Amino acid sequence: MFGYVRPPQDMPEEELRRFGRVYCGLCHTLGRRYGPVARFILNYDFTFLAILLSEPEEGARCHCRCAAHPVHGRDYVEASSALDLAADESVILAYWQARDGVSDHDWLHGLKYRGVSALLEPAYRKAAEARPDFSDGTRRQLERLTELERERCPSMDLAADTFATLLQGAAQAVYEPVRRRVLEQMLYHLGRWVYLVDAADDLQKDAACGCYNPVALRYGLADGLWTEESRRSFAATLDHSVHMMATAFELWDFGVWTPVLEKTLYASLFRVGKAVLDGTFHHRGNQRETQERNT
Amino acid sequence: MNDPYQVLGISENATDEEVKRAYRELARKYHPDNYHDNPLADLAQEKMKEINAAYEEINKRRSGGGRTTGSSASYGGGGWQQQYTGSSPVLQQVRAAIQMGDLARAEALLNNTGDHDAEWNFLKGAVCYRRGWMDEALRYYQTACQMEPNNPEYRRALNLMQNGSPYRPGGESFGTLCAGNPCLTLCCAYTLCNGGYCCFI
Repeated sequence: MFGYVRPPQDMPEEELRRFGRVYCGLCHTLGRRYGPVARFILNYDFTFLAILLSEPEEGARCHCRCAAHPVHGRDYVEASSALDLAADESVILAYWQARDGVSDHDWLHGLKYRGVSALLEPAYRKAAEARPDFSDGTRRQLERLTELERERCPSMDLAADTFATLLQGAAQAVYEPVRRRVLEQMLYHLGRWVYLVDAADDLQKDAACGCYNPVALRYGLADGLWTEESRRSFAATLDHSVHMMATAFELWDFGVWTPVLEKTLYASLFRVGKAVLDGTFHHRGNQRETQERNT
Repeated sequence: MNDPYQVLGISENATDEEVKRAYRELARKYHPDNYHDNPLADLAQEKMKEINAAYEEINKRRSGGGRTTGSSASYGGGGWQQQYTGSSPVLQQVRAAIQMGDLARAEALLNNTGDHDAEWNFLKGAVCYRRGWMDEALRYYQTACQMEPNNPEYRRALNLMQNGSPYRPGGESFGTLCAGNPCLTLCCAYTLCNGGYCCFI
């Protein structure tokens, strides 16, 4: 379900570099706290989470070589409590996503998820001990989601509420009450948006296998194809969530992170949503392509 | 009070026109219509008060401490327009629970009400909206408006959801279907580290 939050490309170089320093900072934090295997869960969604949880000022910069950049190395932000929190929550999310993959697939196709969850098991145990509330909340919401899938729940709001509530829980460790309210609202609607976009992305695949898809049930899209009216209505409900994220975002000073968050909320999410609706997103293909280019 | 120029995000040397433009931009951002039924409306209202006070203070200073030139133009705090004189006692309790942010109680009261009239649908929509269940909120508001097409409260909630003009910096269009270049080169064309490690999920 991850991979839909992406840093916008049309940002000043300095902002892209700042984003890159958090990305690398989170990678280092994952490695330091959970060992090299945990670094492979790194993605843009978790970086976005780390930025949301960060203090308004950027921490001190460090520089070092790593396995991915053995020659010139990369700048990264030094360890912070926000990165620790983001790393712990990322491990928990990645582990439960893998477990979810195990239960969603037959034995053969579930093998890779089984392997990933086994690799992440020690890291997950440690993260769950550090963040028991978030871990319990995540497990509870995924169980709720499994139940709704079994019942073939026709309400896409109810189904999306599970992942939204789960992600909202990532802000519960934030102490300052106004900041926590703002982040909870942003994360709830980010979770709702991600869940719905993921369901829309899977429409045809789910139609082919007869799998549960709340968007297909809501709009009666048995063949997995949009009608003009359903497409417009679905885009509107995505926009309502982006609107709620944006209105929350405007109520807190995110300091140096404001430009990247602003671009993501007011441009990047719309582009991703449109690409998914147009069938041009090709989520997994893009990720493979990215990896190939970068390695 | 914080430095009024800082509140409006401008320097003390800003021209009157720049002051007005900054004020209008912020007023558009935090306008009550933009936060209608929003669980964070109270925070937006606080922001709006701060912005209005800053604008009035600047105008006061610039007019020599006398006449306040900006007050008449400032935007009001607004909020949830309550016109529910005809409410049943139970639905009045529902409204009170919503105002208090007690959505579980509001929902329980609604679920125990047999008469699903226009107001019931409207209030169900308001609860859904505050929960973040936007699709269902819209559908309940639509039903309320179909049952009572001339009710201004229901019509306003539906209009704000359907045709509201959400703030977007620079006044650009807001929406998935208006998104610019849909071709997802996005981050894929740009390299940070080994972007998108997480291919197994």
